Amino acid sequence: MRVTPFKAQISTVLLLGMALAQAGCAGKISRNGSEEVVPLVGTFQVHRYSLKNGLKLLVVEDHSSPTLAYQTWFRVGSRDEVPNYTGLAHLFEHMMFKGTTTHPEGEFDRILEQAGTEGLNAFTSRDYTAYIQELPKDKLDLIASLESDRMVHLVVDEQSFKTETQVVQNERRYRTENNPDGMIEQEIFGLAFKTHPYRWPVVGYQADLERMSGDDARRFYQSYYNPAHATVIVVGDVESEQVLKIVQKNYGSLPTISAPVHILEQEPVQKQPYRKNIKLNIQIEKLMIGFRVPPLVGHEIPALEVMASVLTSGKSSRLHRALVDTGIASSVDSYNPGEKDPSLFLISVNLQKGKRAAQAEEVVRRELLRLQKEPIPEREIERAKNKQSFDFYTGLSSNYQKAKFLGYFETVAGSFEKGIEIRKQIQAVTPAQLQEVARAFFVPNNRTVLTAMPKGAVK
Amino acid sequence: MNLFKNKLAIITAALLSAPVSHAMDVSFEEDHSLPLVQINLAIKAGFVTDPAGQSGMTNFMGEMLRRGTRSKTKEQIDLALDQMGARLEVETRAESMIFRGAVLASQLDPFLALVEEVVTTPSFPEGEIRKLRAEIVSGLLEQQGEDSALEAKDFAEFLFGDHPYGKSELGKIKDVEAMNRAKAIHHYSMYVHDKNLLLVGSGDAAKDKIQKWADQISEKLPTGNKPVVREVSRPHNAKKRRLMIVDKPDRTQTQMSVGQVGVRMTDPGYFPLYVGNHVFGGPSFSSVLMKEIRVKRGWSYGAGSGFRYGQQPRLWRAHLFPASKDAAPALAETLRLIEQAKLHGITADEFRFTQTSLINKAGFMYNTPAKRVENALLEKTLHLPDGFMKTYGPRIAETTLDQVNVAMKDFLKPDEVAITVLGTAAEIREDIAKAANIPVNQVVVKPYTQD
Repeated sequence: MRVTPFKAQISTVLLLGMALAQAGCAGKISRNGSEEVVPLVGTFQVHRYSLKNGLKLLVVEDHSSPTLAYQTWFRVGSRDEVPNYTGLAHLFEHMMFKGTTTHPEGEFDRILEQAGTEGLNAFTSRDYTAYIQELPKDKLDLIASLESDRMVHLVVDEQSFKTETQVVQNERRYRTENNPDGMIEQEIFGLAFKTHPYRWPVVGYQADLERMSGDDARRFYQSYYNPAHATVIVVGDVESEQVLKIVQKNYGSLPTISAPVHILEQEPVQKQPYRKNIKLNIQIEKLMIGFRVPPLVGHEIPALEVMASVLTSGKSSRLHRALVDTGIASSVDSYNPGEKDPSLFLISVNLQKGKRAAQAEEVVRRELLRLQKEPIPEREIERAKNKQSFDFYTGLSSNYQKAKFLGYFETVAGSFEKGIEIRKQIQAVTPAQLQEVARAFFVPNNRTVLTAMPKGAVK
Repeated sequence: MNLFKNKLAIITAALLSAPVSHAMDVSFEEDHSLPLVQINLAIKAGFVTDPAGQSGMTNFMGEMLRRGTRSKTKEQIDLALDQMGARLEVETRAESMIFRGAVLASQLDPFLALVEEVVTTPSFPEGEIRKLRAEIVSGLLEQQGEDSALEAKDFAEFLFGDHPYGKSELGKIKDVEAMNRAKAIHHYSMYVHDKNLLLVGSGDAAKDKIQKWADQISEKLPTGNKPVVREVSRPHNAKKRRLMIVDKPDRTQTQMSVGQVGVRMTDPGYFPLYVGNHVFGGPSFSSVLMKEIRVKRGWSYGAGSGFRYGQQPRLWRAHLFPASKDAAPALAETLRLIEQAKLHGITADEFRFTQTSLINKAGFMYNTPAKRVENALLEKTLHLPDGFMKTYGPRIAETTLDQVNVAMKDFLKPDEVAITVLGTAAEIREDIAKAANIPVNQVVVKPYTQD
């Protein structure tokens, strides 16, 4: 990630997850053999194409301003790394802004900046890596040319790799070592997962970052960066057929390479609660509780999204009332990351001055037990669904956001239509389904608790 | 440090009690592409208007508005907003306090009715005053764990001293703990009235409907004879370079700012400086600072410079966050680059490249309704001409290389900059002082927990 925080990825996923709501119907209209048109929201439609080399292309026409968003999503993230090479997916994302066989280092940024590119950036998560730009509408051919070039013609210079490794180590210091929330997140995933790659942070461990070489980066590139492993998304003042022509021209001749098969070791079933306390240079206590939950494609996801809203969305939500209004916490949040593999539903609490994390944990435990025992009233569920609708629409309010919605679901769930489907399912969630997920997942043997206390404080 | 004492000029009684005219400034852009409506109701008074000893009062008063009205408790307000799927938050800036509202279009009527009630008939319940005090104090304590935010706040305070631009949105813990109902009501009566409000929004609603609603609010609020404008005086740089270390244990990384008093967007040299700053510190991966600090040396993940704007010149700062071991050389290099920028300006190549880039991307400053709303808020709260944010392209096109270099030579004051470094003082103090060319005994060291 060049600038965008990892944390933002989590919250974005969350937002989208909550968001996925009532988009239009997911009925497909096939115009010809190679194109599908799917309603997205309002009058917006998604044009879907596939090139022969496996590249996927999604286009949404929005003629409200003479601009476009161009995003390239690769189906690779820290999930695809192996021990001792943690952080390589993200480090490699940095390397993608270096030189290619046709453009020396620095030229990619320079050409795009001169062309008036906005938000030239990238981000890496556990499941994906995305490269993003917004440009004036007449720069479509330029960006397609540059992106297709670096997809297969990147040059990994050894010295440049070493310098970038230093930058990423600094990014790690920024996001994790010197950041209480980053440290808590690293620790809770490290505690909750024993064998799955979700146990290490996207930014990687310091020792691994120091160890890696340009050869490692080159191998990674050859394995994961090719058209069969990517989706290009274009949203803005474009004509879909014209976009197809330009993408075909720039990417059509790139070779198809099969992605490596990465067999992940099965994460063992959690049989007991996990718990850890860490001490940091903070002035208030912090609490994070994680429950293992199914992947984004799991049928329980719509109910878990509504559950997150019931718990912490808005000041009338259950945990806000029970923790903030009572003076125990200054803020509380929950999110369902929605990832490719089973992940953690997280509840995070910042305590008020002088209050203890244990006290907040007891309140959370009590509220979760209530969800298991008592059905949530219909009106409260309606409130949660309204929040979901609001988040859904705000999450689609620009070219960039529409592209991100499509890229996320296409990459993590296998198709953007899954996002639309979840959106519909959220609106149909029942009290019984909510009770069911509470009973299935919010149980002690599925729980990981991380507390952070000020250094010098007595436990 | 009392560098900026007595800078607050209060212009009182700007409005007479008659003739009465309710005229809230309203700007609403219809956008029917999604079923959402954004409403921003701004009070033209921000944290610079916080009274002495009551830092954070503007924000506190704003937060209290949505915690109870004559007919609704906080719980009822929260419930109503959540039922609508709406958002209503307070954002306090230096010279404005904004109620940021957003709602599904289908819920617009009840939402407008609720916002109107919140703004016109707040009750400031004692119980909520106590709760809010505790929440804000805890929020300020939490901020002490966030290095970047803490250093940015301390930099502004160090740069401006007692000048109101040195204050912060949430205020100081001791002031927040002393807030009470009478003070909040007094602040409300001072600043929340019809002539002091403006509305900017967009979305799936008829403009006439929003205008009518704004008129209703104006009619319900008191009009006229109150102090409506509290203008701050122009701040000035100190006459020497200064360095403060915000001392925090166990840091492997520093947060660092080097900066000075900035420029107004309406000042004649603004656009040349805007171009010059872009060459120097971006935001751009081709900027001088990014290339020298990050790309060549790998010292910091981020390195950039930029302005913060106000009705008066506010601040310009270069910001980076090198590892503790690289902090001293990174600071020395940043100071060298600032000195070079003052001495030699930018090159013709740099100018052409940046000018073209900025002109080509100028349209992104106003290509969505949400951005146009933010622009209008900025224009109306900082006394900029209407449509100012759309003039960047042509104004940058008119700018010449000579103008940029003259402006930079005049503006940059490397000998008068304020420098703040958040880090572990025992490990970095001597080297940082040396890099800044300041005697160690003149370095201010502030514990990170100091209010």
